[in-house]
Amino acid sequence: MKPSNEISRQRRLFHSKRYGIGLLFMLPWLIGFCVFVAVPIGWSIFMSLHKVSVVPGGFKYERFGLKNFKDAFVVDNVFPIELITYFQQMLLMVPIIVIFALLISLMLNQRFPGRFIFRAIFFLPVIFATGQVLSELFAQGAGEIPFLEQYNLQPMVEKYVGLQFATTVMDVLGRVVLILWYSGVQILIFIAGFQTISPSVYEAVRIDGASPWDSFWKITLPASVPFISLNVLYTIIDLFTFPLNPVLQHIRANMFKIDTGYGYASALAWIYFGFVFALIAVVLWLFGRSMKSRGKRS
Amino acid sequence: MNATRVIIRKFGGQAKAIFWSRAVQRIKVFVLGRNVSDGLLAKLILYLLLSIVAYLYVQPILYMISTALKPLSDLLDPTVKWIPRVVTWENFQTAVKGIKYPEALQNTAIIAISCSVVQVLICAMTGYALAKLAVPFKGLITALVILTFLIPPQIIIIPLYVIYSKLSLLNTLFVFLIPAIFGQGLKSALFILIFRQFFKSQPLSLEEAAKLDGASTARLFFGIMLPLARSACLVVFLFSFIWYWNMYYEPSWFLTDNFTPLSIRLDRLEDVLNPSLLGQRNTIDNPATESSKMAAAFLIILPPILVFMFLQRWFVTGIERTGIVE
Repeated sequence: MKPSNEISRQRRLFHSKRYGIGLLFMLPWLIGFCVFVAVPIGWSIFMSLHKVSVVPGGFKYERFGLKNFKDAFVVDNVFPIELITYFQQMLLMVPIIVIFALLISLMLNQRFPGRFIFRAIFFLPVIFATGQVLSELFAQGAGEIPFLEQYNLQPMVEKYVGLQFATTVMDVLGRVVLILWYSGVQILIFIAGFQTISPSVYEAVRIDGASPWDSFWKITLPASVPFISLNVLYTIIDLFTFPLNPVLQHIRANMFKIDTGYGYASALAWIYFGFVFALIAVVLWLFGRSMKSRGKRS
Repeated sequence: MNATRVIIRKFGGQAKAIFWSRAVQRIKVFVLGRNVSDGLLAKLILYLLLSIVAYLYVQPILYMISTALKPLSDLLDPTVKWIPRVVTWENFQTAVKGIKYPEALQNTAIIAISCSVVQVLICAMTGYALAKLAVPFKGLITALVILTFLIPPQIIIIPLYVIYSKLSLLNTLFVFLIPAIFGQGLKSALFILIFRQFFKSQPLSLEEAAKLDGASTARLFFGIMLPLARSACLVVFLFSFIWYWNMYYEPSWFLTDNFTPLSIRLDRLEDVLNPSLLGQRNTIDNPATESSKMAAAFLIILPPILVFMFLQRWFVTGIERTGIVE
């Protein structure tokens, strides 16, 4: 009886020691999460259910229930429209960014003289695509290509895409340069991803007589599905925390209005987050399914 | 004799056809190549496309430099597009004075370097714990790490502001350093996931050997694992450095006093140069300050570009070797 007791005691000690070390390593993050993430999130949800007004020495809360959330759709006549427009644009921009990054990284992955210079240039967006500098540049109109006006594309787009989507498409086309600038990290991820495909596979299919075209569709593309999904997620998050997007600007404007205030702004932010979260969930589910079906086949 | 003539007559056409098809083949290989990238044609197309896109990337920077060097008369003259008639350094002087460059540079550098170093260390520890150590509710914690990546800063910025002001951290370096110490710096979650991925790919036998030799977990981590993760550390450090250098949204809330980084000062440059237009600057595109603004912008991106140029090679190979994306 006694020895087994002793053993179980020792085992418990051993386990608690193991967990203790793990927890010790995690401790900074856990504290930080509680203080700087969990509390603010809870507070923000609490605010979204109230009307918050600033009084000297703190906030005054007035119970509102779900009224803020209802108001966002019923009373506010800017928010729903902006939300929908931005989502339409995002649905168009995400594939464009990812496909563009894929093409560029495929090209950069080839061996050719002068590759280093090109790679250096293509890392430029990583350096300052996030910054104030770039928005300053775009405010000055530095990065615009005037092809939309030059070639008078508006009627053509209206003819082929249909009137209701034409404005979205035109907006996206107008931001082509911005799209290019937002694909820096994605290009990096793809280039890193291509290094994981072993070159012997390409050699093997070439001996079997596959053309480069085939080897792209049969090897490179399937092998980079995980990186594509990673990039899609990254792009969505990047675009939706982009501080210049109209929805966030609307939220920010509402923060400082007296009749709406922080409570309403938090409610708007949570609605926005809910939509994006749903989008991310759908993307994850789609990619998860495609990966699973690929696993079954092979 | 007769027989050979018969043979030549019989098979000559065929030999010629073989010869021609060989020649065509050779030209085809030369132009199209065996691989996608070997042929002449493919190379030309590759260079053409890459050059176009590279031009689009470099063009804003060239515009920035050229505008910064233009005097006002050249800026207003529509015939002067890229190369100014007179090169002037005046704009740089105005910009340096307007954003108080040495002071702002120091602020930004202190924030970026200290926070990045701390972030590398803390994210490496957290990532290591998630990859290799026994932690209760590991799955849940990993999910929470991803959640912190997804939450946009705009949602929690006001509560954070209140918390920081209660802790009286506002307008000091610690408003960024303390969250970084507790693993909640700028995009920490991404870095934690990078480190987790890296440590996961390390073989188990390494730890077992160290454990058998009597190394403690702390010793194992700082003595073996962290040096092994050099390339991952470099990648994380550079990303973190650049994001801290460029951040605008957070300091626009938390650093409003004297201790401001470069990005905020660039934003305020217009007000500094033209106090009379205060408050309506969004409606006016003022050509008089455009050159100085571009000069300031150039001064801001210069240090990261220099850092990047020095570390470029290690950065690229580091990214390829870390297995960030496996």
